[in-house]
Amino acid sequence: MPQSWHAVGGDFLADTASQVKPAAAARAPRRRAWRDAYLGYFLIAPTLILIGVLIVLPLVEAIGLSFTDKLFINPTPRFVGLQNYLNAIQSDVFWRVVLNSLLWAGIVVVFQFLLGLGSALLLNRNFHGQALARALVILPWVTPGVVAGLLWKLLYDPYIGGVNAFIHLFGIPDPWIPWLGNPSTALGAVIFTAIWKGSPFSMVMYLAALQGVSQDSIEAALIDGANGWNRLWHVILPEIMPTVRITVLLTSVWTFNYFDLIYVLTHGGPGESTEIFPTYIYRLFFEQTKLGAATTMGVVSLVILLVFALFYIRELNRARVLE
Amino acid sequence: MSVQGSAVRAARPRASVNSLVSSLLVLLLVAFFILPFSWMVSMGFKQPDEWFVTPPRLIPQHPTLANYLGALDPAFLRYAFNSVLVSSVTTAITIICALFSAYAFSRLAFPGRRQLFTLIILTQLLPLVVLIIPIYRFFAEQGLINTYLALIVAYLTFTVPVAVWLLRGFFASIPVDLEEAAKIDGCTQMGAFLRVVLPLSAPGIAGTATYVFFSTWQELLFALSLTTSQDMRTLPVGILGYIGEHETNWGLLMAASTLICIPVFGLFLFLQRQFVAGLVAGGVKG
Repeated sequence: MPQSWHAVGGDFLADTASQVKPAAAARAPRRRAWRDAYLGYFLIAPTLILIGVLIVLPLVEAIGLSFTDKLFINPTPRFVGLQNYLNAIQSDVFWRVVLNSLLWAGIVVVFQFLLGLGSALLLNRNFHGQALARALVILPWVTPGVVAGLLWKLLYDPYIGGVNAFIHLFGIPDPWIPWLGNPSTALGAVIFTAIWKGSPFSMVMYLAALQGVSQDSIEAALIDGANGWNRLWHVILPEIMPTVRITVLLTSVWTFNYFDLIYVLTHGGPGESTEIFPTYIYRLFFEQTKLGAATTMGVVSLVILLVFALFYIRELNRARVLE
Repeated sequence: MSVQGSAVRAARPRASVNSLVSSLLVLLLVAFFILPFSWMVSMGFKQPDEWFVTPPRLIPQHPTLANYLGALDPAFLRYAFNSVLVSSVTTAITIICALFSAYAFSRLAFPGRRQLFTLIILTQLLPLVVLIIPIYRFFAEQGLINTYLALIVAYLTFTVPVAVWLLRGFFASIPVDLEEAAKIDGCTQMGAFLRVVLPLSAPGIAGTATYVFFSTWQELLFALSLTTSQDMRTLPVGILGYIGEHETNWGLLMAASTLICIPVFGLFLFLQRQFVAGLVAGGVKG
């Protein structure tokens, strides 16, 4: 990581100050600092106002609503304290959603890491068509979520889909498995699709991180069987660890919050077998108009995300990104 | 590896065997990520009587253009128009707003800079589905459901923070000396920014703009909630309507999906380098 720009503000002031004549030296930097501060606030004002009005205020309102019994039809919400939260933890659906969300995010992230790192190691080598292979492999990640969802809805179709046709190739005569229609396979199916869609992002990040690792180590890791694992474990991984940690944190949060894929593929069903926080909150609010319950689930998911946020801040500090 | 003998003799066949293995792995990898798309494209050229042929054929026996022609109906063109309009306007506003903020965060010292920047980064961890509830209520009260304004404003909630983050990464990679030189030549701070830093960050701005355009082009949640009339739907919401209650015209749907991907893939291949650089700069280096 380049050090040059971290303390840009500070170094900058020091340099100019040393060029000013001694008599004015005390006042000029201070004036300079004030001017910088005013200009800075002026320039970030639009962004800050936007965040305040469109993110902070709605968030506060949502948290407030979770303590009321507000529905679309009753115009005067009553304060009900923790009632919504008690209702939530006493319902089976709630625990199903928590479990699904953790399984979904956990499994997807682990496989995105493995597949992402594996692809990055492979595509880091020089070979004919390397650039083309890299571009092709990224395409699932660039594909709109809805299109990816529709495409895999077709692929999972028991009769006309490609997945069963693929299984058929291996000699299983009539594998007409309704992947998305069966509660026991639906979660696995949406997880598989999310791995397919998201791994390329991890790969891009790891490819970039591998540029800082000596080419010899990577070659050796790929070519040299037993010793290769050693190199991967002791040389390559430690080197790219900061990137790994940040990528894993980001993909965890994005997967946890990912709405499009499950909404298109299963709508959270069959039953609640693929319901995760975002799809369940959406259903509670837009389909059942239960404002209080929806915002309660929202706050619960915020609390879970807060844990990730704390780790994330720590990582950003460690990588000196915030300075 | 069971190869015995001197290290020199052993290394060579082993290396070539391994490079064969890794070529095969690369092929498998590309196949895994790309084959599903071939199903999409192939379906777009199939007539319904070919759907149920077993084993299914990747290359249709009687390819037809009917699905593509059928997909380009007035409703689809309207969705496309809405998508292009909303995505471009959002991207333009986002970039203008984020350029100045990102510059301030990368170059100017002011109290609270670090905390405010942390706040901006953290907004990316928020679930949009929680924000949509109060935002939807607000727009509904104001009678702004089914307007471009509502969509664009809602999109800014997630585009501006990302753009500030990515652009700050790009500005940070431009040496401060260049601005210093410009200022000695009589430029103001803003003058130096506009005349020196901006032109140099053109690739970064292009990459960031592409990223923002992508994320709004494919956005589903806000578009689904804030539009209810056919006329105002964007492409992602529009094509969801093609899924029928009882039967779905998959040929038409996959043709439409292919058409939606074309501009995205085209833009991506064209700006690939900037795009990837942007992600990496934002995600890892800050």
